[in-house]
Amino acid sequence: MLNTEKIRADFNILKGENGSAPIYFDSACMSLKPESVINAINDYYLHYPACAGRSSHKLGDKVTKKVKEARELIAKFINAGSENEIIFTRNTTEGVNLFANSVGLRKDDIVLISDKEHNSNLVPWLLLRDKIGIVVKIIPGNENGSFSLENLQKEIVGAKIVSVVHTSNLDGATNSIKEIVEIAHKNNALVFVDAAQSIAHQRIDVKKLDVDFLAFSGHKMMGPTGTGVFYGKYKLLEKLEPFLVGGDTVDYTTYTDYKFLPVPEKFEAGLQDYAGIIGLGEAVKYLSQFSFEDIKEHELKLNTYITLELQKIPQIKIIGPQNPAERSGIINFYIEGMDMHKFAVMLDEMANISMRTGRHCVHAWFESRKILNSARVSLYIYNTIEEAETFITNLNKIMKIIS
Amino acid sequence: MPCIVALIIFGIMGIFSASQRALAKEAFDCVFRRITFRPCNTGFQEKVKGKLLGKVLKRSVFMAKVLNKYYEVFSWIFFILMVGSTIWVFKGIYNFYVYGSCNGLNQSGFCAFDPSGENNKVTGIGDSSTCDITPQNEATLTLKDVDLSSFPVQNIKGEDKVVFIGCYACDYSRKAYPDILKLVEDKKANMAFAHFPAKGDTAYLAEAGYCVNKMYPDKYWDFNNYLFTADENYILNKENLNKILENFSLDVKAVNACTSSTETKTAVENQVNELKKTNLYGTPTIFINGKAFVGPKPYRVYRSAINKYIFF
Repeated sequence: MLNTEKIRADFNILKGENGSAPIYFDSACMSLKPESVINAINDYYLHYPACAGRSSHKLGDKVTKKVKEARELIAKFINAGSENEIIFTRNTTEGVNLFANSVGLRKDDIVLISDKEHNSNLVPWLLLRDKIGIVVKIIPGNENGSFSLENLQKEIVGAKIVSVVHTSNLDGATNSIKEIVEIAHKNNALVFVDAAQSIAHQRIDVKKLDVDFLAFSGHKMMGPTGTGVFYGKYKLLEKLEPFLVGGDTVDYTTYTDYKFLPVPEKFEAGLQDYAGIIGLGEAVKYLSQFSFEDIKEHELKLNTYITLELQKIPQIKIIGPQNPAERSGIINFYIEGMDMHKFAVMLDEMANISMRTGRHCVHAWFESRKILNSARVSLYIYNTIEEAETFITNLNKIMKIIS
Repeated sequence: MPCIVALIIFGIMGIFSASQRALAKEAFDCVFRRITFRPCNTGFQEKVKGKLLGKVLKRSVFMAKVLNKYYEVFSWIFFILMVGSTIWVFKGIYNFYVYGSCNGLNQSGFCAFDPSGENNKVTGIGDSSTCDITPQNEATLTLKDVDLSSFPVQNIKGEDKVVFIGCYACDYSRKAYPDILKLVEDKKANMAFAHFPAKGDTAYLAEAGYCVNKMYPDKYWDFNNYLFTADENYILNKENLNKILENFSLDVKAVNACTSSTETKTAVENQVNELKKTNLYGTPTIFINGKAFVGPKPYRVYRSAINKYIFF
């Protein structure tokens, strides 16, 4: 069981006295950062702000060592085969773009994606469709919004790539990656997983899942913004063409030739965000002290309370599974005919509640269902039941004025 | 409607701040959509409404409910008030420019641009020692039936007519006098001058002025200018008058004989009686083409009157 009080003490922003601390319900967009992460970043800038991998002085050596440590920590965190399978990016979106542009797709190659993909796992494929003529097929979901393995079976033949989200930022539902991978591999398709939303909430074992490629962001797992990871099986990574090239990706160059460094360096072009990478390593260290079972239990407790309260209000519609156990830490809801921006602004004004509204970068899903927008509560380890109660109390007040 | 209000407010604030400029742009987009009969889809209106409702909800659910229900009505009321106050502000700025007071000609109410009311301060008639803001009705000030023929005049052929009624010993007359001289010079205006002894015992200066003008008309304006620029205490001392006359190479005895004559005393008394017909309540009172300006106004006010920039 998580000790929320102790956890909250690690987050400076949550230490506000007399109710000045925000009720932060937007961790699906951006998680808060513990002081240890911030200190690690500061430490880099204050004490060894040098380059990694190229300078032979003591400061440079220290950065190289710290970056390597971070890579090792992350590899261990997702149970990768080696740290060389970890490529640092700016975020999940960059990971998707790197993969989409490096995997060597040609005209008429088929890419399958689900109908609940974040724009980051939709637009890069649509762009390739327009540029080189790949075929992007949407796997329709089940009626209840869950991923349809049956529909995947129907579409998989001839597909080169299945690119799917692990946990949807829209409704918190987690797709059965293991089964998706099995179906894809039986049909010689590669699987890319967008783990942006799941990485901080459940154990991801890339070996057990047998995914070929996976990407996630640091900022959703208490790491710094502008950091992310692209994972790939080493042998597959070796076959990918680098997407961005230049400094630090090559072993040597002449005026007419070049030779790439091995994986992962050949994918990490230019000077990296060392402070961010070191901070990300620290975030992994911080997160590793908790068991994912405890995190899940904590989120479920809060999610259940909020879900049950919301379900008492007939005007409110919860997006996705109605069972909170199937929604990770996410409760995304809307009121028919109401602009949820106003709703969130009111909660922010009334009780300093930070939550996300809009279409959550899944515009296509909203467009197809003619829903204006929604308000999303996303919970994490530092949220408390008292915060959930405050949220419900204030929500009920709002319902009184709009009913 | 809140979009229009927001556009005006953020538009003004946006002059100074980039973040407010972004909001102004959002508000503009919203207004533009509304005037082209399309729904405002920026969420801006809802954001503004949400902020207001959230603030009210913290205090009273009932009030928030009322606000939510009649939001458009409140918005219209607020909009009309804002338009009204904007017009009022622009009127105030215009008034300040052309009259020196936000409240209109010679009005002494509070004006943000002239908080101490400097432009309306006068030396009150009948109060022999103080200078203050005298809120009186200027509408009665007039030159009608006032005989100014006995007062000294310069630029006699000037088209524009300026009548300066001031007091040598009054601070505000002294402040206004150089601006009026500049105006007369710049615009070649016809100017009549009258000393009204509003402060201290300065009637003897009126008599001296009357005689100098009568006996040495070519030296009168230099003499007059001197009285407005010399030390106040010095000219208030009667014993210094002869020295002043000497300095202007005037025949002191002749002037003194003139000032003590019954004819001069009667003439000066008549002059004061004529000035009283203007209903003046303080000095300086300056008539420019018949319009009265009470108190020392900025130069632009006098110039506006001559240039006929005054529309109301």
